[in-house]
Amino acid sequence: MPVGVIKVARPAPTLAQRRPWLALLVGLWVATRHFFQSAFLFARGRQNFTVHFPEQRFLQPPAMRGMPVLVRMSNGKERCVACGLCEWACPTSCITIFPAETADGVERYPEVFDIDMSRCMFCGLCEEACPEEAIVMSRQVEIACYSRRGSLWHKEDLLVPRDQLQTRLDYLHRHYDA
Amino acid sequence: MARSVRVTVDGAVLEAPEGTPLLQAMLDAGLDIPHYCYHPKLSIDGSCRLCQVEIEGMPKLQISCYTPVRDGMVVRTQTPEVARTRQGVLELLLLNHPLDCPICDKAGECWLQNYAFRFGSHFARTVEPRRKHGKRLDIGERMLLDQERCILCRRCVRFCREITGTGELAVFKLGDRSLLDIYDQRLDNDYSICTADICPVGALESKDFHHRMRVWFLRETASVCPGCANGCNIMIGERGNRIWRLTPRRNDAVNDTWMCDWGRLNYSFPQAPQRLLSPMVAEGGRLAAVSWEQALERCAAELRRFVARHGGSSVGAVASPHLTNEELFRFGQLLAALGVETSAAPVRRGRFDNLLIKAEKAANAAGARLLGLARGSDDGLKALCDGIERGRLKALYLCGEDLFEVLVPERAQRLLSSLELVIFQGLALLPALSGAAVVFPATTFAEKEGSFTNHAGRVQRIWRALQPAPGWLCDGEIFSRLRSALCGERDTFDPAEVFQEMAAAAAPFSGLTLEQLGTAGVPAANGAAAP
Repeated sequence: MPVGVIKVARPAPTLAQRRPWLALLVGLWVATRHFFQSAFLFARGRQNFTVHFPEQRFLQPPAMRGMPVLVRMSNGKERCVACGLCEWACPTSCITIFPAETADGVERYPEVFDIDMSRCMFCGLCEEACPEEAIVMSRQVEIACYSRRGSLWHKEDLLVPRDQLQTRLDYLHRHYDA
Repeated sequence: MARSVRVTVDGAVLEAPEGTPLLQAMLDAGLDIPHYCYHPKLSIDGSCRLCQVEIEGMPKLQISCYTPVRDGMVVRTQTPEVARTRQGVLELLLLNHPLDCPICDKAGECWLQNYAFRFGSHFARTVEPRRKHGKRLDIGERMLLDQERCILCRRCVRFCREITGTGELAVFKLGDRSLLDIYDQRLDNDYSICTADICPVGALESKDFHHRMRVWFLRETASVCPGCANGCNIMIGERGNRIWRLTPRRNDAVNDTWMCDWGRLNYSFPQAPQRLLSPMVAEGGRLAAVSWEQALERCAAELRRFVARHGGSSVGAVASPHLTNEELFRFGQLLAALGVETSAAPVRRGRFDNLLIKAEKAANAAGARLLGLARGSDDGLKALCDGIERGRLKALYLCGEDLFEVLVPERAQRLLSSLELVIFQGLALLPALSGAAVVFPATTFAEKEGSFTNHAGRVQRIWRALQPAPGWLCDGEIFSRLRSALCGERDTFDPAEVFQEMAAAAAPFSGLTLEQLGTAGVPAANGAAAP
């Protein structure tokens, strides 16, 4: 069968394609607008355009993904059962888990749970993979350290009480139950 | 040979010997028919009802495991009714199955998980509470039982009755109260962990692997069990350069689908803390770690000097039955180059049964015999000991620790202390060997490639599962380097090439190549007679 050629009508170029320099004007307009907005608010004595970090902090929305942490239950133990799904889901292989056995009903807990934060890219796949809501993305992003060893977080460092993570958990419930 | 019959399955024609279960014929043809209770090495139970297919001329769906193939049978496996039946069976199985997957060792290789995902409905319609049964019951020295997870396929029950003949397990009570349990006798037979292998779910678990590692992280390498002369085919589960478990691999000529518990749990020696990690030479009365080159140089110099002074016949050699055929062949060549006449390959002997466990507790004793490194019914041990005791042998090239397991310790100590030169190549340094001139670390079965010859003379291949340290020389490379240092000719160690040389030189291996062995192995030309 001979190869046929179909002529496709070229779509008419848009305004932005015809006049690419217009984008420059758009950018200038945004900058100018913000300048006058800020100047106006400054004149009215409302300086809400700069956050004086670290004295002031921005309250991040719950959808923000900071560093992953482990949920600590009210009995002081971790929720994690060391199933290894986050370790499997992790695209950067930054999670290391060694399971062990406990005498209580859960049967299984992580003896070692390490996250190498220098490799973690805050993608949140571990949180998505977790069947127990045991690992969630916190709002914590200030995790700079002076040594490479310091970027290796162990289980004890990662445990955060559940009530501190309630906002994120509520967000997750809304997100996944919908 | 039974008459071959033709069956039409989903429009394709399959051929199978008469009397074969239809399920087996379909599985052999590569069709993926879900099933739980059917196992090719056990009797047919027909209890799981998952393998049902539509057969023309039959009023209802039939379980394909209990239907023998007949000529002209027309089978359909992809009809909506079959799909609905599978979904229904899975729904019933999942009614009471606990959602333990995150803490279950079987997760990842669980047949219930896999089939539920592929053929199940993905939604539960039940609101009733699930039944409660015993969890984590200690039913044997090496086994745990979780009755809630059990789907009552009775594979383990049949295994204990038909294969081991011990019959510890049974299904008790009736109807939906049925549960798997043991009688008075605990599940302590020599093959008890095989029940965990054949369990399609995580009801029976090996204590050794319990909560240790996720199966999806394991990289599986085909190998052969080094524990005894039977040479059971195995898979090595490795992660992070560490062995986490050994599982049997099907080979109908050797071990069917089973392996003994002792062999299965005997995997810690490659990562033992007392293992030698670098070569050592005697330096001022004690052994000091040196580089491989230095140790090889020293060893060659010592051997050269000794042979020049006393002649090659004053050197004795002990070959380890844990070495591969290729390494033993190279060792034989090294000994020939030195002019060594006395060699032995002592093998520890122990308990055996008539299923799999053999008396000789080493993988390649037959290979050492076939390659002429051990002669006589005592593996040449008597001649070697006599030679040392009478003073005829003054030096010893000792491979492996087996000599110390075969001889009485005091005698081995006395023999060694009467020698002028001892070269040792083994996994760990024993106190009796503190007088050795050169010590080389040996390599385990998991770290090398090559082949073993089992008790029946079947040559089977092993593959490398663990990566040795950079610069590490495996046993065969040590022999090759020493031979090139002593003879001057360039000598390398590549298992495939050495195997070719061996096939040309040793009659039992003639006509074989390493590739030809495949995963199933090939019998050697004239089978090794096991004493």
